[in-house]
Amino acid sequence: MPRLGTSIRFTGACAVALATAATMVSAAGAKRTTTLNGAGSSLIAPAVAVWAPAYAKASGTEINYSAVGSGAGIAAITAKTVDFGASDAPLTDSQASACADCVQIPWALSATVPTYNVPGLHSGQLKLDGPTLAKIFLGQIKTWDDPAIKKLNPGTSLPNLAITTVHRSDGSGDTYAFTDYLSHVSAQWASQVGNSTSVSWPGGVGGAKNAGVAAVIASTPGSIGYISVAYVVQNHLDWARMKNAAGNYVLASAPDIEAAAQVVKSVPADNKLSIVDPPASPKYKNAWPLSTFTYVIVHTSSAQAPALRKFIFWALTPKAQHMISNSFLVFAPIPKVVLVAAEKTLTKVH
Amino acid sequence: MASLDVTEPARRPFSGRRVHLGDLLLQGLAGAAAAGATALVLLIAWKVVDGAHPSISKFGLGFIVHDVWNPVSGREAYGAASFLFGTVITSFFALLLATPLAIGIALFLTELAPRVVRGPVTALVETLAAVPSVVIGLWGILVLGPALRGNIESWLHSGLGWIPLFGAPSAAGASIFTAIVVLAIMILPIVSSISRELFLGVPHELKEGALALGTTRWEMVRGVMFPYARGGIAAALILGLGRAMGEAIAVTQVIGGGTVISWNLFNQGDTLASKIAAEYQGATSNLEVASLIYLGLILLVLSLIANSVAQLIVRRVARTHGVTRGGRG
Repeated sequence: MPRLGTSIRFTGACAVALATAATMVSAAGAKRTTTLNGAGSSLIAPAVAVWAPAYAKASGTEINYSAVGSGAGIAAITAKTVDFGASDAPLTDSQASACADCVQIPWALSATVPTYNVPGLHSGQLKLDGPTLAKIFLGQIKTWDDPAIKKLNPGTSLPNLAITTVHRSDGSGDTYAFTDYLSHVSAQWASQVGNSTSVSWPGGVGGAKNAGVAAVIASTPGSIGYISVAYVVQNHLDWARMKNAAGNYVLASAPDIEAAAQVVKSVPADNKLSIVDPPASPKYKNAWPLSTFTYVIVHTSSAQAPALRKFIFWALTPKAQHMISNSFLVFAPIPKVVLVAAEKTLTKVH
Repeated sequence: MASLDVTEPARRPFSGRRVHLGDLLLQGLAGAAAAGATALVLLIAWKVVDGAHPSISKFGLGFIVHDVWNPVSGREAYGAASFLFGTVITSFFALLLATPLAIGIALFLTELAPRVVRGPVTALVETLAAVPSVVIGLWGILVLGPALRGNIESWLHSGLGWIPLFGAPSAAGASIFTAIVVLAIMILPIVSSISRELFLGVPHELKEGALALGTTRWEMVRGVMFPYARGGIAAALILGLGRAMGEAIAVTQVIGGGTVISWNLFNQGDTLASKIAAEYQGATSNLEVASLIYLGLILLVLSLIANSVAQLIVRRVARTHGVTRGGRG
């Protein structure tokens, strides 16, 4: 009998190796842990990164999260390619009808911050108010030494430098919160541009994600844009003081964001909350006017519903909320009335 | 006594069947691969048209000339004009910028450089092609953009400001001009390495004959090497153009996301591929998704047209000007 050719022996060896590997892999896979897959907002991503290992230790369930953006998260949960979606913007009417049995649950409280790069000004020095910010982004205020800005910053020397506005070129919950605020404080903005996760900007430069916006601001003297507060704090960017309706100039610190959330008296049935531009009342004297809730979106009935309910319930507990409200992550604990409404909505998930 | 039958065919070492099986397999596999590739192209084209259908039925062909992109619900309106303009402008000028540089590099590496230098420089230029688009985009927005804005843009504007292309520079490093330079850097290695191979393939006898007749080096290059390599260089330019038109990630980071059509290269702009890359993941409504796929369809058609035109040019140039490979002429 002729000797088996080299190629035949080689193929045989490969086949044996593959079979062994396959058996080993399937044996390992037999011991399965529950995994919850989520996708969406990049604003909540640092919080999920802190929650995931803590929850895995507490319950054995693994959380996989991809920060692909609020819009993509909504698309993914509508298509049921993930177990939960996360979005900073509440579902629009068309999205809610496309995702028929979805509920949105507010599970964290954060903010967006106007960030600038003006030679001669350090962080927290620039003071702005809503109407001025709207005019800057509408292109009506074109230089830093414009009388409107000078009026808000007496005693600060502002250079005669052209203003370059920077915005997100991708769909983003930060854009939603920012344009929501501008629509509240400027009727012209509301009619000309409107608010959404992505709008048609009247001029300015677009950057891709928080990192892109930060890169453009850092390399463009005289620029101003808006970035999530956690990103601003972690990267020591120059942030502006905003004048809230009560008349005080505030920074986006966790207590000031928490103060803005106190404006919620009752939560509507669809959990759609807007807390930008809190009204002029001594109760909100320290409120940061560009605060926003961020939502987790799940189907009311799905294979993973019990595991999801346990996870979201855990995320709403004071322990989990305090894990993420520190000076590094800057999420504020959600107020009680919202907590109650969130837990009530959660009972629908089973 | 049996006579020797000389007409009997000699015994062959392998039976006839095994040879036919090998031929059949070759034909079958190669044919299947070719058919698969064709089917894939048609499938992609069909899926793109299908995905863009809601937007095509709503906006029709007017989409191509309409200059708007508003995703806010309640006032949605989409149009491709500014992105189409951006794609054409960036690809054309990137090719214009890269071609002389690439041919110059190829000439240098084949004719002018000392032998010691040729190897390392060739390797370095080809490594440029291996740099990922994301990295080039990041470098572009952090380093190249501010450098161009600070030096080149103001110099061009002060010297050539009467040309509408070189209007007032913007304060940001992100602009169409930065995108053009980034695309040129990405096209450069492709065109230069193909041109280098072509120049190396020019027969020595032709070059030496020309030099022996008393031509200068430049006259030899212009009279012998360029006509010989012209067809291949045109093909290299097609490859470069294809890369430039389709580049999404690097461009979206450096181009600044503008939506207005302007001839000033120093303003922000956007291209078809870059807009799709930026907005597709975050698209909020079905109409926006369909409109983005419609942009993809326009890009597909544009690439097809550009490729076909370029193929025609290659064929004409190779036929009428080139020294034919058959040996005559």
